[in-house]
Amino acid sequence: MKTRARLPRLVATGATLALALSLSACGDGNGGASGDDGKIHVLVYGDATNKVEKKIVDTFNKTSDVKVVLDTIPGADYQQKLQTIINTPQAPDVFFNWGGGSIKPFVKADLLLPLDDFIKKNPELENKFLPSVFNNAVVDGKPYGIPMRGTQPVLLFHNKKVLKDAGVQPPKTWDELLDAVGKLKDKGVTPIALGGGDVWPTQMWFQYLYDRIAGPGLFEKAVGGDKSAWESADSKKALGMIRDLVDSGAFGKNYDSVKYTNGGSVQLVAAGKAGFELMGSWYYSQQLTDHPEFAETGLGYTAFPAVEGGKGDAANVAGNTNNYYSVMKKTKHPEAVAEFLKLMYSDDFVKSQLDIGNLTTTTNTDGFIDGSATPEYSRFQYDLVADAPSFQLSWDQAYPQKASSDMHKAIQQFFNGQLDADGFIKAMQALPTE
Amino acid sequence: MTTQITSARPAAGPRKGPRRRPAAPSATTVGRPGFAWALPAAVFFALFAIVPLIMVAVLSFMTWDGLSSPQFVGMDNWSRLADDPVMLKSIWLTLLLTVLGVVIQTPLSIVLGVWAAGHQRNRAVLSVIYFIPLLLSATAVSVLWRALLDPNFGIPAEATWLFGDGNLFGEQATAIGVLAFVSTWQFTPFHTLIYQGAARAVPRVLYQAAEIDGAGRYRQFFHITLPQLRNAMITSMILMIVGGLTTFETVLILTQGGPGTDTTISAYYMYDKAFRGFDYGTGSAIALALVVASTIISLIVVRVSGYDKMRSSMEGVS
Repeated sequence: MKTRARLPRLVATGATLALALSLSACGDGNGGASGDDGKIHVLVYGDATNKVEKKIVDTFNKTSDVKVVLDTIPGADYQQKLQTIINTPQAPDVFFNWGGGSIKPFVKADLLLPLDDFIKKNPELENKFLPSVFNNAVVDGKPYGIPMRGTQPVLLFHNKKVLKDAGVQPPKTWDELLDAVGKLKDKGVTPIALGGGDVWPTQMWFQYLYDRIAGPGLFEKAVGGDKSAWESADSKKALGMIRDLVDSGAFGKNYDSVKYTNGGSVQLVAAGKAGFELMGSWYYSQQLTDHPEFAETGLGYTAFPAVEGGKGDAANVAGNTNNYYSVMKKTKHPEAVAEFLKLMYSDDFVKSQLDIGNLTTTTNTDGFIDGSATPEYSRFQYDLVADAPSFQLSWDQAYPQKASSDMHKAIQQFFNGQLDADGFIKAMQALPTE
Repeated sequence: MTTQITSARPAAGPRKGPRRRPAAPSATTVGRPGFAWALPAAVFFALFAIVPLIMVAVLSFMTWDGLSSPQFVGMDNWSRLADDPVMLKSIWLTLLLTVLGVVIQTPLSIVLGVWAAGHQRNRAVLSVIYFIPLLLSATAVSVLWRALLDPNFGIPAEATWLFGDGNLFGEQATAIGVLAFVSTWQFTPFHTLIYQGAARAVPRVLYQAAEIDGAGRYRQFFHITLPQLRNAMITSMILMIVGGLTTFETVLILTQGGPGTDTTISAYYMYDKAFRGFDYGTGSAIALALVVASTIISLIVVRVSGYDKMRSSMEGVS
C-alpha cells in the first residue's frame, strides 16, 4: 500500500513544484528577496555546524540595523531544494554551497552577484583566506563565494597496529603503497577498506591518481569543456594504475557491498580487518564517535603518496576545499551582506569552528590551532592545505550537480570491471560541463 | 467459480428446504447515495492526482532544469528515452522485480494467512510478531537490511558457506535477489492480513460438509479454501503489481540503482533523472510512462480475473 501511494505522491510533489515555479518564472522581475521583510535571509545546510552559524548571526544582529535570519534545510536534500527555490521570490539573499560546479549553473543563469565590488572596497574579503581555497569559488575569472566553514582534505588513514604487524611503514610513494598492499594481503587482511556502495569514496582514488599523474591541468581542461582531456595518455595511464590496483586485490572483492555511511568501512579499519582507508578529514571525528579508543591510540594518517614520474606535485591535495556563502544578485541589502561576510574571518568565527572540529581556511587560523581540541591533527591538515600548490575539489562537486549521478555510475562500473578504459572515457566525455 | 461451488455442493443440498430470507428483491430498492457523497474525495483526487498528472504530461514535452523557464521541445524527451539502453533495461528490471514479488509473496501470504485465520494455541502472539515488519517504514526496513547484509560484520560474514565473499550488492543477480527478499519480508505481512480476513470469511458449513464427505485437510485447503480466496487473491495481486511497478525507497536506500545501473528500475530512474540530474522533462516522461503502464496492467488483471464483475464466491451458501 505504501509503495503504491509513493509514485503519485512523488509525481504530485514534482508537478506542484513545477506549477509553482513556472508561475513564478512568468511573473519574474518583482525580485524582492524573500518578500520585503527588510531582512537578509541566509540559507544553510542543516547540521551540527549550525550552532556556529547561529552564533555569528547573533553577533551580527547586535550591531546591524538590517537583521539576518538564518534558514536551514536539513542535510541530504539541500541541493535539490536550493535548485527549486533559487529562481523564485522565496530565494534567500545569501546561501551555502560547495563552490565549483555547484554554483556554475546559477552563475550561467545570471542569478549570482560577483563579489569583486565587495573585494575592491574591502580587500580582506579575499586576502584573509588561503588562495587555494578561495579560488574554488571563482567562476569565469570572477569570485562568487566566501569560505564559511572548514576545509576537508582527503587523507590516507591507517590502522597503526595492522601496519606494524605486517612490517609496513606508512607509504610515501605509490610503490611503497603497492608493496604494503602485498604484505597486508599475505597477512590475510584487506589491504584497503573501501565503502564502494556509496561510490564517492571510490571517486577519491580517481581524483588523487589523476592529479598525481597528470597534474591538476587535465581535470581543469575536462571540466572546462575540453573533453579530449579524458582521452589523453595521462588519463589512460591513471586508469591503468587504478585497474592494476583493483585487480591486485587491494580492496578485497566485496567493496561494492560495503558502505562508509553505515559505518561498515569505518569498522573494518577499527577492528583491524583492513590496513588503510582513503577518506576526508572528517574520518577522524567519525572514528572518534564510533570507536573512541581506536581513534585516540590506533589511528594514523598521512598525505596521499607521491607517484614517481607523475606530472602532479606530490604536495597537491584533493577533497572538499570548503563551503561558501554566495550572494544573490537581487538582494536588496548588498552593503549589509558585505558587512556580514566580514565575520567569516573574524577571530570569534575561527575559534568557534575549531572548537567543534572544523578547520577554517583563514590566514588567522594558524594562531588558534594550538589551543584547539586536536592541535596535532589540525596542524597537519592546515599545513597540508596551506602548502598545497593546488587543491582539487571533489570531482562530483567540481562538475555541475546534474552530472554527478552519471559520473558515479561510470566510476563504479570502471572500478568493478563492467566498463573498460574506453567505456569510462566515453562516459566521462558524455557528462554535461555547464 | 460460482458453478464450481454449486457443483461441489451436493452435501449442502438438503438445506434448500425452507426459505428463510427472501433477501434479493428488497436489496435493489435501497437508495444509493448521490454524487454529492463522492464530491469531497473527487475534489481531493482531482486536485492532488489529476491536476499534477496533467502538469507532468505537459512537462514531459519540455526541457527544464529548475533554473530557467521551461521550453517546449516536442518529442525530444520521449525519443531519447526510447533509445536509452538504461531506460529499456529499467523496464525489464521493473517487470522482473514485480513478477518475483508476486510469485514469492502470493504462496507465502496464502499459507500464512490461512494459518493465521485458525484458532491454534499461540497463534495470536505469533501473528503479532509476524506483523511487525508491516509497521516499519520502507526506509527503516531498507536501512536495517543494508546493515544486516554488510559483508564483513553482517549475516554474510557468519554464513560464508551460503554467501561466499558476501558481495551481495556488487553483482546484479544477488542485488536483485536482495531487493526481492526485502520487499517480501516487508510486504508479506500485509498480504497475509488480506488472506487472513478472507479465510475467516469462508463459511464453516463448507468445511463441515467436506468433513462429512471424508475430505482431509489438504483436500479442504485446495478445494474449499483456495477457491474461496479468489477475490482476495486478485485484490492482493493488483496491489502487489502496482506496488512492484512503483517500488522506489528500497532501491534508493539498498542499492541506489547499482552496481552501475544493474538495479535501476523505472521509478528510480525517474528520480535519478529528475532530482539528481535536474532533467525534469525526462523525469516527467518516465513518470507518465509508469502511470500509463501501471494503469494498463491493472486493467488487464481486473478484466482477465473477472474482478470487475465482482461475483460473489459465496453465492448459494446460506
